[in-house]
Amino acid sequence: MSDNQLSTSKPSNSAIGSRKWLKPSVLAVLVAFIALLPAMHHSNYIMHIFILTFIYIIAAVSLRTITISGQFPLAHAAFMGIGAYLAGMASKWLGWSPWVTIPSAAIVTAGIGMLIGYPFARLRALYYAMGSLFFGIGVIYIVYAGGIWSGGYAGLTGIGPMLGFSRIANYYFFLGLTVVSLLALYRFEFSRIGTTLKAIAQSHLVASSVGINEAWYRILAVGVGCFFAGLAGAGYAHYNTVLSPASFNFMATLWLVMYVLIGGIDSFAGPIIGTSILVLLPEFARDLKTYSPFLSAVLLLVVVYLMPQGLVGLPRIIRSWYSERRKGKKIAHVSGN
Amino acid sequence: MFLEIKGLTKRFGGLTAVNQFDMHVNKGEIVGLIGPNGAGKTTLFNLITGVIKLTKGQIIFDDKDITRKKPHQVAQMGIGRTFQLNPLFADFTVMQNVSASFHLHPRSSLLGIYFNTRTYRKNEDYILQQSLEILKLVGLDKVKDELAKNLPHGYQKMLGIARALAVKPKLLLLDEPIAGMNPDEIEFTMTGIGKTNKQGATIVVVEHNMRIMDLCDRVVVINFGQKIAEGLPKEVRGNKEVTRAYFGDEHVA
Repeated sequence: MSDNQLSTSKPSNSAIGSRKWLKPSVLAVLVAFIALLPAMHHSNYIMHIFILTFIYIIAAVSLRTITISGQFPLAHAAFMGIGAYLAGMASKWLGWSPWVTIPSAAIVTAGIGMLIGYPFARLRALYYAMGSLFFGIGVIYIVYAGGIWSGGYAGLTGIGPMLGFSRIANYYFFLGLTVVSLLALYRFEFSRIGTTLKAIAQSHLVASSVGINEAWYRILAVGVGCFFAGLAGAGYAHYNTVLSPASFNFMATLWLVMYVLIGGIDSFAGPIIGTSILVLLPEFARDLKTYSPFLSAVLLLVVVYLMPQGLVGLPRIIRSWYSERRKGKKIAHVSGN
Repeated sequence: MFLEIKGLTKRFGGLTAVNQFDMHVNKGEIVGLIGPNGAGKTTLFNLITGVIKLTKGQIIFDDKDITRKKPHQVAQMGIGRTFQLNPLFADFTVMQNVSASFHLHPRSSLLGIYFNTRTYRKNEDYILQQSLEILKLVGLDKVKDELAKNLPHGYQKMLGIARALAVKPKLLLLDEPIAGMNPDEIEFTMTGIGKTNKQGATIVVVEHNMRIMDLCDRVVVINFGQKIAEGLPKEVRGNKEVTRAYFGDEHVA
């Protein structure tokens, strides 16, 4: 309404604001770097870290897909675990190929998510969070109780490897899987379906008054989110060939939530940036790794206080700070005259 | 009869919010539902639209029983409604509020939406054009790109009505459309409601503000969850029960 607001949303005539090529070119450099990384750097370890980052990006972005419908589940790593264990067990005991286990585990995980999502569609806010939290913990107990079939406390070993253990092949497989998943989730959010979910998040009463079957849409969001969580988990199972229940416990869910929150929950790019920074940074500063939970808490506080939109909002903040400074200089110059 | 409510009762624990309430609405009418604060008017709307479950009674709309239908099913039957508070999607623009409300007419399939089929794109074009029509009708086309939460109160109420029109309602339930508006806005809104009625929508309007009576073909007065009077606006105005409900015993001459 006010002029003030309009001018902040559209950075008017600042020199930086007009550099439209900046964003695509930064993105192009980044894509080229990621695509060519194996050629530049033969370290298996670095490729390993990037593969993990890809897997967690799929998981974090799919968690955000559920949150745009106004639901905040605290069981997303458990759904990754369901996908991982389904694929792992199908591979170990039935001898299925990864090309069969990965998609089918994702589909079954989506089905389980929707089944669980059905009664949960009546819960809201804290009740939803608590309910899903206990479900997530329950999943881990089922794995424990699975004995030899699921590997129990000791973990599941002997899962068929992907692409013959080749690190480079795996790198490109997971890069491709991530790109395809992100495109699929992007389309989901920025179609009328995503708009409807966002409408429900803002007011479920108003949404249902215009004929939106609110419960069904919320279940749909959970199904899509869980499909990609299951996909990420199943991919992880075949990449790692060993599964431990601890990888999918409540702490793992909290990390996914942190990736989303620190990156920025209001933007599609948010969880991608959040995951990249929180997974990659501790790896490149190994000394800090021990303290990473504390650092994440500090980072979260910094983000909340300084960048309410998450790390995604950082360029905009820098830009407006820069243009303010230029404006300030100009005024100083004029008044000095 | 277009809408018929029979013996509607709603108890919240020990409190009877609506008690053995009967009411009917004929096609094409504007019916005012008035009564003091806490009389049960909004509860009645919530019962009709399935937002809260009724304890006893029956609701028939257009010859179909809608007694235990869910809110989205009621909307699908052709009943649109507005809300007294938070009547909109706050973080959407005015335009998005209306276009997102076009969920039923036309309706695209999920796969059609996802794969961006030609039918879906055609539907979306139609929706944008229709939304603009509706915004022009309620006079909000000039602010269509503003965020809904930044609009002044009167505009937000109008947007609530615009949103409800996107359902293409045969019956429109308006919950305090002119409450808290200034005289100009009231004039504008009342004209808008009249226009919508002439275009074929039957309207039930809950109000507090007695001015709404100028618009109504018939008025039903409710107090403590019970009907205390019914009739033409001028009949109701002179009714002693009504005066007592609003102003207390000492004002009854």
